Amino acid sequence: MRAAVTLIVAVSIVATLQGQGTVPAAALIAPGVDSWPMYNGDYSGRRFSDLNTVTADNVGSLSLGWTHRISAAGPAGGGGATAAVIKGTPVVVNGVLYVTLPDHVWALDARSGRELWHTTWPSRGGWHIGNRGVAVLGTTVYVSTPDCNLVALDNRTGKEKWRTEICDLEQFYYASAAPLVVGSHVIVGVSGDDLDIPGYIESHDPDTGAQQWRWYTHPEPGTPEARTWPSVDAMLHGGGMTWGSTTYDPALNLIYFGTGNPQPVINGRKRPGDNLYTESIVALNPDTGKLAWYFQSSPHDTHDWDATQTPVLFDGVIDGQPRKLLAQAARNGWFFVLDRETGRNISSTEYVKTNWASGVDAKGQPVPNPRKEPQVDGALVSPNQGGGQNWPPPSFSPQTGLFYVNATRAFSVYYLYENENDDKPQGWGGNDRGGWSEAMLLGIDYRNGTVRWRYAWDGSAATRSGLLSTAGNLLFAGDAVGNFVAFDAARGVPLWRAGLHAAITNGAITYRLDGIQYVVVAANDTLYAFASPPR
Amino acid sequence: MCHRSTVWVMAVLLAVAGTTRASMQGGPTDRPKLDEAAAARGRSVYAAQCINCHGSTAKGGPNGPDLIRSPAVLRDRLGSGIGPAMRAAASAHTATMTQAQLVDLSHFLRQRVEAITRNRTATAGSIDVLTGDPEAGRRYFNGSGRCSTCHSPTGDFAGIATRTQDAVTLQQRMLFPTLARSTKRVEVTITPLEGPPITGELVRLDNFNVSIRDAGGDYRAVSRVPGVKVEVRDPLAVHHDLLDEYTDDAIHDVVAYLWTLK
Repeated sequence: MRAAVTLIVAVSIVATLQGQGTVPAAALIAPGVDSWPMYNGDYSGRRFSDLNTVTADNVGSLSLGWTHRISAAGPAGGGGATAAVIKGTPVVVNGVLYVTLPDHVWALDARSGRELWHTTWPSRGGWHIGNRGVAVLGTTVYVSTPDCNLVALDNRTGKEKWRTEICDLEQFYYASAAPLVVGSHVIVGVSGDDLDIPGYIESHDPDTGAQQWRWYTHPEPGTPEARTWPSVDAMLHGGGMTWGSTTYDPALNLIYFGTGNPQPVINGRKRPGDNLYTESIVALNPDTGKLAWYFQSSPHDTHDWDATQTPVLFDGVIDGQPRKLLAQAARNGWFFVLDRETGRNISSTEYVKTNWASGVDAKGQPVPNPRKEPQVDGALVSPNQGGGQNWPPPSFSPQTGLFYVNATRAFSVYYLYENENDDKPQGWGGNDRGGWSEAMLLGIDYRNGTVRWRYAWDGSAATRSGLLSTAGNLLFAGDAVGNFVAFDAARGVPLWRAGLHAAITNGAITYRLDGIQYVVVAANDTLYAFASPPR
Repeated sequence: MCHRSTVWVMAVLLAVAGTTRASMQGGPTDRPKLDEAAAARGRSVYAAQCINCHGSTAKGGPNGPDLIRSPAVLRDRLGSGIGPAMRAAASAHTATMTQAQLVDLSHFLRQRVEAITRNRTATAGSIDVLTGDPEAGRRYFNGSGRCSTCHSPTGDFAGIATRTQDAVTLQQRMLFPTLARSTKRVEVTITPLEGPPITGELVRLDNFNVSIRDAGGDYRAVSRVPGVKVEVRDPLAVHHDLLDEYTDDAIHDVVAYLWTLK
């Protein structure tokens, strides 16, 4: 059966490209400005580019360089509906741009948008909710699929080099995350919260696909952290998926990522305790998969507020002392700044007003108010299930010292569905319904969590646009009605705007080729590349 | 006694039946389509042969494992998984089952798995929002809630409970009203760079453009360049502000009160 499943590769053009050949590991540690070689552009997760060809002073000269409309919508083989919505971040190396949908990878000429190849994966199923993009190393492109495969493709043709199963589709796992290459490791997370299954993240050999290690997002039985669950059985069915983006500090040799919601999702009454390591920021050694530290963004969550938002790494000054920092704007509405060497909390603040926490504990973790847990007769909660922030990536500019979030302030009512006689909640024990929300772009001072500026998106209840900041004092962001906007990054004032045909659906990237700086963003099924005059 | 117990759990099973969608988005696509009729027959098989050990909701009991979390059940295709699993634990499975019953049981267990997934549609039947005090709700309506500033139990809210499909819907409409059932509209006044202000019904507003339909029915659009003034009058703005003020007790009390307006 498995042998019969083969990749369908359509090579539309056999093109000769300058330097398409190989991507050395060193190029990932210090990426050139002619590339965007991983999901976040570099290991830090800042989505900040040193490029300053386009600046706040000349951004008006940006014009349309090319567009590329995805031509093969829909899933390759069932497994739920795939809308042709680009939610991933393209990767650019050696003049080639790689963009994905679930089951699909395209290689485009980064200068023109012209298609070089398109690979379609014949799916066995799984949620087709989105794909975040590829990783690259050497001559290989790595992508995960909804039916639980990590696949290695030849970067010249899109043909399969190898595949390896990273999760069990039968248990409703699926994969959507962008893999991350760290040294001789391809690190990839998994998704799935229909059933009560444990989360994990794992590492594979870049050449063979062989598994190197797997780290489960629950404690070892018998450890103090295991006592945050009522039983080993509850813990081993406790969720905590790893579908967000991973960042990496080469000097500390630690990878960082956030974990997803505990299971059962909405009904937490039979899993009293903090439920570690769900909804936590964790640091692992990428060579061994061993845990270095954790910080829990949402102890004992009952609102599906996966803490999978990017842990952004930057150096800063706190109380006059230089510090290695990590910041996350979590889905639960809170902004956390940690010491990334130790995981110790520096500050915890609300970046949008919420109503579910009764305070902050000694560790800097919000304390959930039991009255705002889902109730049979409903509890009015803010934020809603979508959260103050979700998967769209944030940005941090070392130039302005501001952490940028495309945030939503939302309310909904959380209901428990479980029958009072059901003493063993499983899966989805309820859900939220209805709501009202408003969308806003925020510039947050990392030193104290203060919102320095706030730009309300009129007419957008929520946005799914990620963010990009550049050394040109620019911040690129989008709204839900097709406005793609360049802001003065320091002041939050719009300087340039393009009206696209649909909502902005991913985080923009930038790179410079032949003296032209490109800014590329997706609106549903189309990539738009804006280009500077050559300089 | 045992028989009575089985009848009771059958009632629970029947109560939760019908709360699932016909298909789900997770998992493999080569699973046979869920056959609801077969699942109904399988429910009888389950009640007769499985329920005493595996429990009323198939989530396990003292003498039998959780079947929702069972790899054999999750991998099953029309009995291909559960048949061998039952034979492997033969000492615990003394009852006999025909192949047709096994297939029916497979559909039933699949239905139970789907019942707990994200897409489950269990809604009004299991939600009871009428837990508040109607009299306290009446006082809130006329007092601190300031509802009576705009609404009246003998005016716009007369008989509202008879016009609303269920109490959950009423709770949702109270918290998150729309103008869909109202004659009121969002009204916008635009002061352009040149010429007099224009007023009309909002068509679309974003940070860069605004458009309205004026009293004469004409579509009017203005770019929000510096100097252009836009004033929005949203009748629902007060409701958005109230979201920060409501307590859950007040919400339940007011819904209980409104549900008396029949």
